Amino acid sequence: MDTIATTQKLNNDEIFDLMKQFITEVIGEEFVEEMDITPKSSFTKDLEMDSIEIVSFSEKIKTHFGEQIDFTGWLSAMDLDQLINLNLEMIINYIQECQSSK
Amino acid sequence: MAKFVFIVPPLTGHINPTLSMGAVLIQRGHQVGWITLDPDLAFKLPEGGELLLIKYNESDQQKQDSEQYLDIITKKIVYGIDSIKFLYEEVLIPLNRHSYDGIVDWLEKYKPDLVITDHQMFAGAIAAVNQKIPYATSVTAPAAIKIMDELPKVHEWEVNQIVALQKELGMDKLTSIACSGLLTMVLTSKEFFGELELPACYHFVGPVINRKPVNAYFDWDLLNKINRPKILVSIGTTFDHEHKKNFFAKVIEAFGDEELTVVVVSEPSLFEMWPENFIVQRMVPQLELLPHLDAVVCHGGHNTVCETLMNGLPMVVIPIAYDQSHVAGRVVRVGAGLRLNFNRFKARHLQEAVYEILQKEDFKTSALEIKRSFIAAGGTEAAATLLEKFSVNEPLFLLNS
Repeated sequence: MDTIATTQKLNNDEIFDLMKQFITEVIGEEFVEEMDITPKSSFTKDLEMDSIEIVSFSEKIKTHFGEQIDFTGWLSAMDLDQLINLNLEMIINYIQECQSSK
Repeated sequence: MAKFVFIVPPLTGHINPTLSMGAVLIQRGHQVGWITLDPDLAFKLPEGGELLLIKYNESDQQKQDSEQYLDIITKKIVYGIDSIKFLYEEVLIPLNRHSYDGIVDWLEKYKPDLVITDHQMFAGAIAAVNQKIPYATSVTAPAAIKIMDELPKVHEWEVNQIVALQKELGMDKLTSIACSGLLTMVLTSKEFFGELELPACYHFVGPVINRKPVNAYFDWDLLNKINRPKILVSIGTTFDHEHKKNFFAKVIEAFGDEELTVVVVSEPSLFEMWPENFIVQRMVPQLELLPHLDAVVCHGGHNTVCETLMNGLPMVVIPIAYDQSHVAGRVVRVGAGLRLNFNRFKARHLQEAVYEILQKEDFKTSALEIKRSFIAAGGTEAAATLLEKFSVNEPLFLLNS
């Protein structure tokens, strides 16, 4: 599943669903069911994911999009406050940016 | 004969290893002191150890006020990456700033040949350099020196906090001196720590845990009364009441009336009733207890994890904050246990995880492998020998490198 090379551009909703799928894979389906995940959900405060879980989530994005986006580069440039406030919308916007610049 | 001084933060997990190392140095005929803010350390020091208590003039309101970080760390609920920010901004930096003058005073008076400072007591390293005394570092929470490749700015941010304090205390250096360039002892084995390129001054000495037995009552007959698996549940000394209440409510639901004997480290008054198969005590003689057990449930504090592995026991780790997420990650990576998310896990998950580590032999086998690597690393004796080596005639150019 993870190795699909997505060539067509995804819209915001599709990216959001994909993010939700990755979060589910990292923290488990039954927990996700109880959460109200929105684009505004932050990883640390709302989803209560710790650094190791955020890293596994980023691995999944990397595997999925491959060369299309430099997710590791983007994430590794984040300072502590940015990481604490990191939410789904920021990632959606970043992926959109990468797609539209192709 | 040499004169050593340990500089420790008021955190049990960071103090205990220094007590063992100090005891061995004293046995070998050296003079050893401990610089601390905590007067109660006097009761824990090995025989012959000297308490060098940091005390400030009581009229100094600023200094009095800054002592509040001691309370803060137990009261505030922090989680994930947020907890790193909290740890530095509200605990470590104020603590180090507060301790600095007192450390300098003691170094001037005591004149040690070698300072051994905790990696989180960077004020000790700064004071040693400013006083031109060689220093070694003891890394009691090894995850702290590990950099996450994906999130390099987290480590960079930590270093910046230390560098800013160094500058404030008169040291113009753009890198952190928290880990000594002379000798940095990492209190674990390479096998448990994982791959990371480190300078030659880093020595993996293994966990240093052969400390004095704790004088805590324990009903051994009750423990051994029924022949069934025995587990220990402990989430350490640092976390507050609300955290504990939620946590132990789930522990009760998971293990109440199961075919297990469950030893719980907690205030018994936390609940009016505990299940009959529970033994609940505020303190337990953990080192003596571990050899009788089959598995451990803990929060991923480095000391408890090492003590558990040293007994070849599998564990379920439920990290709460700070570096515990890393420690838990290592336990899973080496195959010695399972991890759960502190905020999300339910009683059922804890129960399933504990039965899994009890039933699948692989977890125990992996724990035993780590145990062997710990023993091979040398422990307390190896650490003491390294300290002796660096206490004599070290040229000053090695300082501050």
